[in-house]
Amino acid sequence: MSVVSAFLVPGSPLPYVQRDNSPWGEIAAAMETAGKALAASEPDLIAIYSTQWIAVLDQLWQTRAVLQGLHVDENWHEYGDLPFDMKIDVEFAELALKKTAEAGIKAKGVDYDHFPVDTGAIVASNFLNPDGNIPLAITSNNVYHDWQMTESLGRVAADSASELGRKLAVIGVGGLSGSIYRHVIDIAEDKIASTAEDDWNKKILSMMEQGDTAALSSACPEYAGAARVDMGFKHFAFILGAIGGRFNSATVHAYGPLYGSGGAVVEFDLA
Amino acid sequence: MNDGQIIAGFLAPHPPHLVYGENPPQNEPRSQGGWEPLRWAYEHARRSLEELKPDVLLVHSPHWITQQGHHFLGVRNLNGKSVDPIFPNLFRYKFELEVDVDLAEACCNEAADMGLTTKMMRNPNFRVDYGTITTLHMIRPQWDIPVVGISANNSPYYLTTEEGLEEMDILGKATRKAIEQTGRRAVLLASNTLCHYHFHEEPVPPEDMSQEHPQNYAGYLWDMRIIDLLRQGKINEVFQVLPQFIDEAFAEVKSGAFTWMFSAMDYPELPGELYGYGTVIGTGNAVMEWNLIKAGLAKAA
Ligand SMILES: [Fe+2]
Repeated sequence: MSVVSAFLVPGSPLPYVQRDNSPWGEIAAAMETAGKALAASEPDLIAIYSTQWIAVLDQLWQTRAVLQGLHVDENWHEYGDLPFDMKIDVEFAELALKKTAEAGIKAKGVDYDHFPVDTGAIVASNFLNPDGNIPLAITSNNVYHDWQMTESLGRVAADSASELGRKLAVIGVGGLSGSIYRHVIDIAEDKIASTAEDDWNKKILSMMEQGDTAALSSACPEYAGAARVDMGFKHFAFILGAIGGRFNSATVHAYGPLYGSGGAVVEFDLA
Repeated sequence: MNDGQIIAGFLAPHPPHLVYGENPPQNEPRSQGGWEPLRWAYEHARRSLEELKPDVLLVHSPHWITQQGHHFLGVRNLNGKSVDPIFPNLFRYKFELEVDVDLAEACCNEAADMGLTTKMMRNPNFRVDYGTITTLHMIRPQWDIPVVGISANNSPYYLTTEEGLEEMDILGKATRKAIEQTGRRAVLLASNTLCHYHFHEEPVPPEDMSQEHPQNYAGYLWDMRIIDLLRQGKINEVFQVLPQFIDEAFAEVKSGAFTWMFSAMDYPELPGELYGYGTVIGTGNAVMEWNLIKAGLAKAA
């Protein structure tokens, strides 16, 4: 299999921009741990699917060789800037575009100066590829695409890597439960906003730890609705598609609140 | 400093296609035109704005989405290049704008006093969203009037439409109070499309107007019903059917700008002047004005 490692990480900028706040600092440290595991898997490239890159018309893949700049999150602007400097594996992206179209999904490359790279992709790349040495492939979350279509995008990534003989690390970037605090809170006291959603998150993470893919596939649709999961949990569908729907177990490096919503850093064991 | 007032409100939608069709020097891509009836509607609105001579333009944009409250641009000079994430082929625009920070702060404080969560956006590296920029360019391409930019809190989506729009109603009342207190002669811009059903493919070239028409007939009928009520000044009736319109026509007014503007103007039962209607990639867009000076509800300068 072309996929050598796979991770589920939150796309919130809070652990990146304010890691000295202990609930978020734990997630930041776990992101770095995941980054070390990713590096140890020696991938030739990383495929990132981020829920925050919203697409409407097509399935988009970044095809610009270098993405550099300074991003400010539209909601969390007071916490500071998100600098980014990314290398894109353009050959891979071109092949993924072709294969996305072959999978029956309209696809388009994005190659524009100052294109707004999303917060989630930047946070994942800065934490898990801190030196920017590993080339990236970044693809969008088309809001009209369902679970199955998103799984097939994960397959497209894995197949493209196979065809090019490249070892691939996969990152699904997005949150768990979605209830957030809508007012300003004391961030040191941040916790999951809903007990029921907290229970759901823990149940799903425990299924991941056990590698119980059958239980996960039956629970995910209900979980997505009941816990207001970020974009229907499609970031996990992308991972499942890429890894062929199977993993032995998973390590939850951290689970915690991001202004009331849930976030976890999960590493899947594919061996 | 106490004769501040709202002198007009415009329904001023933000399809980036309109900027693309116009080919202004600030926008990188070039076109062969397109969407002329809507662009000419904006020309009409520009002439009216010229006569109004406002101190400030306030715009509420659905493409600056915030979860923790209602945010206000709070940096005096903002500039950069705004690239539309959905239509990067059409909109890559170099902007430079001046913010009326005093008024923004007054709006922010008033809204907080009325119980809303609010926040000033103080980060100088912030990239202003393409909805705000498109609406401002289309109404005033000279960029010589200070602005107040207001985010769209996601409450109509996160809560129910009705609960969310209640927040926008409060935001409108706070905006009005802040304008009165700061002595500004203000124009409000509701940056909203009506029916939002759209095609999923762009024609080649995107300005091929032989391909442009309403995507959804029921949505078109809804737009005509709403515009007709607005032209008759039946504002009350519009707000009674608004949730149904939003549901059935997937209308972008759900994001709140339209409610914010009418609340700030105190829902005048005043006929709006329709400058034009047209579709953009199938969505319904109207450029309309409610001139409160002509109606005798505000004083001329
Ligand atoms: Fe819009």
